Amino acid sequence: MADMVTLKIDQQIVTVPAGTLIVNAARKAGINIPVFCYHPKMEPVGMCRMCLVEVGYPQRDRVTGELVKNEDGTTKISFAPKLETGCTTPVVEGMEVRTTTEKSNEGRKAILEFILTSHPLDCPICDKGGECALQDLTMLHGPGKSRFIYDDKKLFAKHVPLGEMILLDRERCIQCGLCVRFQHEVVDDPVLHFYQRGRSLEIRTYSEPGFDSIFSGNTTDICPVGALTTVDFHFAARPWEMERDPSICAHCAVGCNLIYNIRREAKSGGKTVIKRAMPRQNEFVNELWLCDKGRLGYHYVAAAERLTQPLLRKDEKLVPVSWEEAYQRVEDKLRAEQVRLVTLAGGRLTNEDLFNFHQLNQSQNGKAVLYSQMAGGDLTAQIGLGKGSNFSDMGKGTAILVVASDLHEEAPLWWLRVKQAAQRGAILIVANARPTRLDKFANHVLRYEYGQEAATINALLDGKGKDEFTQAAKAFSEAENGLVIYGSDGLGLNGSEQLVKACAKLLVERGYYGKPNNGLLAVWDKPNIQGAWDMGFHPDRNLKGTLREADVAMIAAADPAGDNPILAQALEETDFVIVFEMFMTETAKMADVVFPVQAQIEREGTYTSGERRVQRFDIVLPHIEGPKSDYQIAAQLGRLMGLSTEDRSPVLVMNKINEKVKGYQEITYSRLAERAEQWPLISRADSYYAGTGYENEYGVGIQISSSADRGEELSLGTLILVEPQEEVATGIKVVPVTALYDRGQLIQPSQILAKRLTPQVLLMHPVLSKKYQLQDGDQIKVKVAGNEIVSGVKLDADVPQDVALVARSNGFPISSPVFVQIQRLVPEPEA
Amino acid sequence: MNKLYNKYEKEILGILARYPAEGKRSAVMPLLFLAQRETGYVPTEALSNIAEITGISETDVASIMGFYTLFHAEPAGRYRIQICTDLPCALRGSESYLEQICEKLGVKEGETTADGLFTVEAVKCLAACHRAPMFQLQGDGEIKYYEDQNVEITMQIVEEIRHKVAAEQEA
Ligand code: SF4
Ligand code: SF4
Ligand code: FES
Ligand code: FES
Repeated sequence: MADMVTLKIDQQIVTVPAGTLIVNAARKAGINIPVFCYHPKMEPVGMCRMCLVEVGYPQRDRVTGELVKNEDGTTKISFAPKLETGCTTPVVEGMEVRTTTEKSNEGRKAILEFILTSHPLDCPICDKGGECALQDLTMLHGPGKSRFIYDDKKLFAKHVPLGEMILLDRERCIQCGLCVRFQHEVVDDPVLHFYQRGRSLEIRTYSEPGFDSIFSGNTTDICPVGALTTVDFHFAARPWEMERDPSICAHCAVGCNLIYNIRREAKSGGKTVIKRAMPRQNEFVNELWLCDKGRLGYHYVAAAERLTQPLLRKDEKLVPVSWEEAYQRVEDKLRAEQVRLVTLAGGRLTNEDLFNFHQLNQSQNGKAVLYSQMAGGDLTAQIGLGKGSNFSDMGKGTAILVVASDLHEEAPLWWLRVKQAAQRGAILIVANARPTRLDKFANHVLRYEYGQEAATINALLDGKGKDEFTQAAKAFSEAENGLVIYGSDGLGLNGSEQLVKACAKLLVERGYYGKPNNGLLAVWDKPNIQGAWDMGFHPDRNLKGTLREADVAMIAAADPAGDNPILAQALEETDFVIVFEMFMTETAKMADVVFPVQAQIEREGTYTSGERRVQRFDIVLPHIEGPKSDYQIAAQLGRLMGLSTEDRSPVLVMNKINEKVKGYQEITYSRLAERAEQWPLISRADSYYAGTGYENEYGVGIQISSSADRGEELSLGTLILVEPQEEVATGIKVVPVTALYDRGQLIQPSQILAKRLTPQVLLMHPVLSKKYQLQDGDQIKVKVAGNEIVSGVKLDADVPQDVALVARSNGFPISSPVFVQIQRLVPEPEA
Repeated sequence: MNKLYNKYEKEILGILARYPAEGKRSAVMPLLFLAQRETGYVPTEALSNIAEITGISETDVASIMGFYTLFHAEPAGRYRIQICTDLPCALRGSESYLEQICEKLGVKEGETTADGLFTVEAVKCLAACHRAPMFQLQGDGEIKYYEDQNVEITMQIVEEIRHKVAAEQEA
């Protein structure tokens, strides 16, 4: 325990750890000292002087060093003649702080008058109006009048785009530097800075594209005024007109907590619509931040073309039918003798959906298949990140190994938190075939060739091999806590399986499991892959064969036919295909029955994040007429088949999960709604302290225990590796990697991200391109899986010389390493 | 590496040698100065060149340039006549001095003479208050102070420079 210090703030006695800053100590005592340039997640700079308070120190006799006493025996406190900044002054034993005296009130008033000398006071047309720190603090502490000349205010052009996502109003900026410091200190994208000084000062970006950072939206939360706003929310609504609904981001396995602000508006034909997404504090998951994909990638919900009626194939055509008819058709099929049923589920289904699907599937002895290219959910359930883990607690003594993952692209918030752990002193080892944004913070960077992932981990286990390997191996083995984060950079299911086994073996041999801040963490590509494993779905190495042999395939939240022509072919051979979808996907087009389903934001449910935190989300928007939740449809089908599947509410499904699924014994909806004490203590009522993010009133979720945490016997299977069979073929080896802004169904509708989408190219090293006589920007024809795709070529010296990279969900049917033939397209000569 | 580097490789290596290898960012100021020497301002391209050389972002380089008033982002005349108009100088007539200089040169404050040689700028205190009025001449990679000025003396200096430039051009 850190040394504690006791002091007095406005007559209250407060005890806090030594080194605590006055503003934070005060806050613990419920006293809110106003701040502008201070943010509890950044180093203080003392620039704005808003936090001025009177600070008194216990007086000591210069000769004896003894505390000087007053007549009444109390310690004599001598107050500094000038006010001091509470955001930069750490507390000391016996200190006395006065925040409400005339002197400190005067100080605040003067600072506000000063800040307002050149503020445009255009609150009525300011997007921040209503949740603005400057507005609120002026109301609380400011002078009613200014002695400065109104006409002398600085004049700048307003609403200057810093790139296409964020707008800057230079007149409103109060020069607190929070945005600049956030970009430099917190997310290491130093693309914003002050330019000029004094009254000419402005925020500028010189990056290309402008304000090039995947965390840019956060600056609009922490900007204490309306100087930085998102283009997305510009003039969209006033803060007080919107309601708040808590949800969980569905874009990656981190599971960031957020709030959707919604409003019913004439502009949208009287419908309730989402106006913006804001972070909801969860210090175990996303702290106070969101990445821009999570913040801006919600527009898919408003996409037209939603399916609203069950469809049935009649005379070769899909025609709308009643639910009863559709159910009947499925029942007939399932009741036929000895059907071979396959249920293929995607990772955006909720635990409740998956549980019901699994029950239905099991009753028919079906095969439950997870639509995913990553292995290891069984291992993470056993030796995954220990219960009670929190990246914020990691620092000295913890070794973090990140392998085959470009975390910055795959799980931005984990990238941020791992970076911060490394900055606090954790040993960071990054192993990848190519450089990633985490390398900069790593103590050891290990390079391997694509295909050598598992071998690399084995080398760490043996401690043999090249020098860097032995050093990294040593560093990893000597830590108190160890965790391994593995991703799918360049891997298909086979490679992933090898890799995760090797990782598990390393952790087991080093004893890094079954305790907090130890264990295995998978960077899944969908929000609920872990939940799917837990509910009994596993990926299938021979999905093609499985689909082909099935009599009936139930496919939910997956579009195999759209992703891969080979799977489309396989589905042709499946007798009967039932699809659960929001949209008319390629797979849905091939179906015999299509059930329209609700979007995540139209329904309740839970996801289990990569860290195995079960988190609940609520209904945000009223659902459109027609679709039902997957869990309901699955339950009703189950009932028709004589099961007692639960279709009334996800809460009740969770009660069943809780009885039946290992690890979920402690999960109930009411427990998921429990709050936890979090630091910093933020609140919407005083958004000046940490920005406009929301406090967490809805519960922080529960991290479920691993088998190892529970002390159960582990069955990790043989962790012996099979030498991967090198597929030898001619052509270029192409490996898939994950890009943040891909062209998936959920991203593309967000027009605001259009310019940042990953280009549809084969990324290759100049050496490789030379071999094929290709140049940057060339167009090529790529032959893969019997298909021909036109693609661009982009050169990048960071790509290993012998492979080309493509982004997943970006128009290529490539989800695991594959050899392709390419042919350069000669542009038509201009007429 | 880039245009600036290729042009001044030796000089740049010399500048970088003054700082520890991990502190290359310290070279930003001399590099900005170098970039400005030829044309009297720092073109945007030079910002990215310096960013690449020092390993910091272009935005950070620009911020440093923007902070110091002796660096210029916009082209101007070959020489900048920077007249202090702060309080002590103003008390000794710097405002009318500025006005008259402008009149003689046929420009307004901030503008450049038709021959592209001189830009007149009003600036803040240059710490020569006791010898006001004064101006600072920035150009050709140098900065010079001219103190205890009046219009005649200044115009003489201007003429001398014009002669020098004309002689240069003939040669
Ligand atoms: S833009 Fe906002 S956050 Fe950035 S310095 Fe100005 S007031 Fe502060
Ligand atoms: S890090 Fe992942 S979960 Fe968090 S906001 Fe971004 S995409 Fe969503
Ligand atoms: S100086 Fe303390 S908050 Fe700005
Ligand atoms: S006021 Fe002009 S030099 Fe100081």
